[in-house]
Amino acid sequence: MTRQEIHNKRLQQEAEKALLLQHTRRHFIKQSAMGLGALALGSLIGCGHHKTGLADTFFDPANPLAPRPPMFPGKAKAVIYIHMAGAPSQLELFSYKPELAKLDGQDCPPSLLEGKKFAFIRGVPKMLGPQAAFRQHGQSGLWLSDNLPHLSTVADELAMLHAVTTDQFNHAPAQLLMHSGSARQGRPSLGSWVTYGLGTENKNLPGFVVLTSGGNNPDAGKSVWGSGFLPSVYQGVQCRSEGDPVLFIKDPNGINRDIRKASIEAINKINQEQYEEYKDPEILSRIAQYEMAYKMQISVPEVMNIADEPAYIHEMYGTKPGEARFANNVLLARKLVEKGVRFVQLFDWGWDSHGDSAETAVDVGMINKCRSVDKPITALILDLKQRGLLEETLVIWGAEFGRTPMLENRDGKKMPFKGRDHHGEAFSMWMAGGGIKGGTSYGETDEIGYSIVNGKTEVFDIQATILNQLGFDHEKLTYEFQGRPFRLTDVSGKVITDILA
Amino acid sequence: MLISISDFIGRFHPVLVHLPIGILLFAVLLYFLSRREKYKAVMLATGIALFWGMWSAIASAISGFLLSKTAEYEQPLLSRHQWLGIATAAAAILAWYLHRKQVKYVQWILLVLAVLIIVTGHLGGSLTHGSDYLTKSFAASGSSATEVTQKPIPDVQQAIVYSDIIQPILQNKCYSCHGATKQKGKLRLDSPDFIIQGGKTGKTIMAGNADESELLKRIALSHENKKHMPPKEKPQLTKDEVALLHWWISNGADFKKRTAELSQPEKIKPVLAALQSGKKNEQNEETYIPEAPVEKADEVVITKLKERGVSVVPVAQGSHYLSASFVAVDTVTQADMELLNKIGKQLVWLKMPYINSAVGVFAGIGKLTALTRLSLEHSSVTDADLLQLKTLANLQYLNVAGTGVTVKGLSQLSGLTRMKQVYVYQTGISSNDFSALKKLMPSVQIDTGGYRVPVLASDTTLVKPGNQ
Repeated sequence: MTRQEIHNKRLQQEAEKALLLQHTRRHFIKQSAMGLGALALGSLIGCGHHKTGLADTFFDPANPLAPRPPMFPGKAKAVIYIHMAGAPSQLELFSYKPELAKLDGQDCPPSLLEGKKFAFIRGVPKMLGPQAAFRQHGQSGLWLSDNLPHLSTVADELAMLHAVTTDQFNHAPAQLLMHSGSARQGRPSLGSWVTYGLGTENKNLPGFVVLTSGGNNPDAGKSVWGSGFLPSVYQGVQCRSEGDPVLFIKDPNGINRDIRKASIEAINKINQEQYEEYKDPEILSRIAQYEMAYKMQISVPEVMNIADEPAYIHEMYGTKPGEARFANNVLLARKLVEKGVRFVQLFDWGWDSHGDSAETAVDVGMINKCRSVDKPITALILDLKQRGLLEETLVIWGAEFGRTPMLENRDGKKMPFKGRDHHGEAFSMWMAGGGIKGGTSYGETDEIGYSIVNGKTEVFDIQATILNQLGFDHEKLTYEFQGRPFRLTDVSGKVITDILA
Repeated sequence: MLISISDFIGRFHPVLVHLPIGILLFAVLLYFLSRREKYKAVMLATGIALFWGMWSAIASAISGFLLSKTAEYEQPLLSRHQWLGIATAAAAILAWYLHRKQVKYVQWILLVLAVLIIVTGHLGGSLTHGSDYLTKSFAASGSSATEVTQKPIPDVQQAIVYSDIIQPILQNKCYSCHGATKQKGKLRLDSPDFIIQGGKTGKTIMAGNADESELLKRIALSHENKKHMPPKEKPQLTKDEVALLHWWISNGADFKKRTAELSQPEKIKPVLAALQSGKKNEQNEETYIPEAPVEKADEVVITKLKERGVSVVPVAQGSHYLSASFVAVDTVTQADMELLNKIGKQLVWLKMPYINSAVGVFAGIGKLTALTRLSLEHSSVTDADLLQLKTLANLQYLNVAGTGVTVKGLSQLSGLTRMKQVYVYQTGISSNDFSALKKLMPSVQIDTGGYRVPVLASDTTLVKPGNQ
C-alpha cells in the first residue's frame, strides 16, 4: 500500500466518523419514527401476537386455580380417567372376534406381517384365538367378555370406541401421546390443560389429583401428569394410596397451626417481593402452592379417608381401608369429584400381558387383574349415578394401546404362557357419563381385530372429545409458548360426535 | 390492552368508509369538470379533494382491517372486500401523486379508482346487510332466502305437513344456498318439483326411505365432513327438525297430506306437540340455561361470595348466567343468601352439597327463581324446607340424596312442571314409594339409587395356571 493510499483511506475513515458523529440521538429517533410506527401498527393489528386460549378477563396469574367458565356450557364438570398401564388385550375384554377363534394355532399369514413393526414378535407368529367367552349385554346388546361380569351389567352406560389407534408401540411414548398429545416429553398433560382451562371449584383441594396402583408408576413416569410448559401449579398432585395420602401432611411435633400459618405467610411475603422484582409467574405458582399445601393439611386427610364410608359402599367397591389397591383409589376418585376436584387420573399398573410368566398370561394373570378392577369400576359408575353425578362426570377407561391377535413369540421362540404383543393399530376404549351416549359403539375392526375397517379414532380425537364435553373447543384452548400458541391436540383432533348424547 | 384499542379503532370503520366514497368520487367529478374551460378554476380543488380522500381511504382501510380481526363475517366475501379496499387506498395514493406531478394518464387511474370505490362499497354493504339486500325488493313474494320464524301451528293434526312444517324448515336452513338465488350443487329445494328433481348427486329424497335419502344422509354426516349439510359454519338443523324431516320422508314425502293422515310413532308425538304449543320441545333442552338474555351481575357481590370460598363463575364465556358452588364451604349463612339473592336473576346452577344451613337459608333459595339445577345432597334440608322451594318454577334438576326428605316433602314440589330429574338416594324415600311418586310427578326421572354390585365368587378368587 502506498503512502498515498494509506492517506486516502484515513481520510475516508475520518469522513465516515464525522458523518456518524453528526448522526445524533435526535437524528436516530427521528429516522426511526417510521420504523417504530410500523412496529406499533404491527402489534396493533395483531401481527405476531396471538391471543391466549383463555380470555384475559378470566385468567389471573396471581390466582391461577380460580374457577373459570368454559368456552361453552359443558356437559361434564369433572373427569375420572382410568388408565390400565401396560395395555390390556381388547380381544379378551370388548372386541368380540369369533373368526379369530377359528384361526387359533395357525401361522399368521404373511400379509399381516409385511411392513409391520412389533415390539417383541419376530418371524412368523401363530394366531391366538380369544381367551374369553363373549356375550351381549343390556338393551344395547354391547359385547363384553366374561372377564368383566360386573361391568357387563352397566353396558348401557358405556360408549365403546373399537377403532382407537396410536402410532406408538412402546409403553412410555404411547402413554405420553395419550395423555399429553406428544410421544416426547415436555407437553402438558390432559389434566393440566383441563385445570388450566377451568380452574378448581374447591380452593382447599388441588384441581388435578393422580392415584396409582398395581405397585408401580406408569412407564412414562410422572411426565404423564406433568404440566409441561404450563405454569407448574397445573401439574397433577400424586396422592399416596397407603399411609398419609401426602407426605408430611401432619404438622411436626411442637408446631401448632398458628406457627405453621405464620411461617407460610412469611414465606409467601418474601416470595411476593421476589415476584415484584422478577415478575416470574412461576413464583406466583409457588405462592399458590404454599397456600394450597396449608389448606390441604386440613382438607386432604378428611377427603382421602375412606374408612368412614359405610360398609355397603366398601362391599360395593370391594375396598379395604389401609391397603394399597385399585378399588380404594376408585372410591377416592368418587369422593374427590364430589368435593369439586376437576380431574382425577387413575393408573393401574400390571396389564402388560406378554405371556412370559403366569402373571402376564392372557388366560391367567390378566383375568386376575380384571377381577381386581371389574367391581370397583362398575361400582363407580353406579355410585356416581345414584348420587346424581354421573351426568356431569366423564369417566374414561383406556390404555396406551391394545394387543395383537397373534400369540407372542419373543425372539421367535415359544413362550411359556399365552400372551399377546403390543398393538397400536387398533384397540378399544370406552367412555361413560358426562354427556356421553350410553350403549353405543363406534368404530369397527376387521374379523380378527387387527386393522381398522371404519370409525378410526385417533388419540387426538379422544382428547378433543374430552375437552368438548368440558365445554372447550380443543382448537382454541391454547397456551403461548416459544412464540406460538400450543394446544393439546397439536394440529389434529376431531370430536367424536357419534358417541355424544 | 393493545387488542382492545385495535377493536375500538376498528369500530370506526362503518363511519369512516363514507368519507372516501364521497370525497374521492367528488374528486373524480371535479377532475373531469376541470378539463372544461368553464370549470377550469376547480382544478385546484381536485388536488385538495384527492389529498383528503386519500387519507380517508387509508384510514378506512386500516380501521376495516382491524374490524375484520374482531367480528365474524362471511369469509370469502370479507377477503374480497378487504383486498379491494386496500387496492382502493393504493389507487387513491397513486391518483393523488400522479395528479400532483400532473402526469397525463391520471384520468385512467381516476376511472379505475371510481370503479374500485363502487365495487368495494357494494361488497361492504353486502357484508353488513346481507348479499341479497339490494335485490331483495325484486325477489318474488316470500320465497326469498330470508329467515322466517316458525309460528305456533293452531292445530298441528290438521296442518298440511309439507307447507306448514317441512317447508319452513327448508326455508330457514336450506334456501339460502339451494333456492331461487343460489343453486349450489345444482340443487333447489324451494318447490316440490325441484325437491323431487334432485341435484348433481341425484335424487334428494327417496319417498318412504328416509335413511337412504341423500338429504338426511348429508345432514347425518359428521360436521367435519365436507359433504355435511348445512356447512358447519351455517346454522344447523335441530334434532327436532331432523326428526320431522325423517318422519315426513318415511311417510312417503307427500306434499299434500295433513298430519293426521300420516302414521305417528311415539317418538314424533312430542315434537309435533311442540309445534302446536310453540314451545321448544323440552326433551331436547339439555343445557339448563335460559335463552333469554340477562344483564350482567354485580361484580361486587360476586367478589364478596368468592371471599367466602364460594366458586361463582359464568356458565360459559360470554354468558351472564352464573353457577355457584359451595363445595368448599361448610355452613351457609343468612348473609350468603342475601348475596345470592342479589344475583338471583343470573344464578341458574346452585350446588350446596354437604352443607349445614342457618335458619332461613332454604326460604332464601326459594327466591332464586332462575335456578334450573339445584344440588342439596347430604345437606340439612328437610321436608318443611322443600316447601320453600315450591317457587322455583324453572327447576329441572334437584338432588336431595342423603337428606332426611320423604315422599311427603317431595310431593310439595309436584307443581314444578319443568322438573326432569330428582335424586333421592339415601333419603326417607325408598323404591317402595316409587309408584306413588311416579303418579305425583309422571314426567320426572326419579332415581332412588341403592344400586348394588353383587358379590361373585370370582371377585376374591385368583386364577392359577392350569385351573381356569
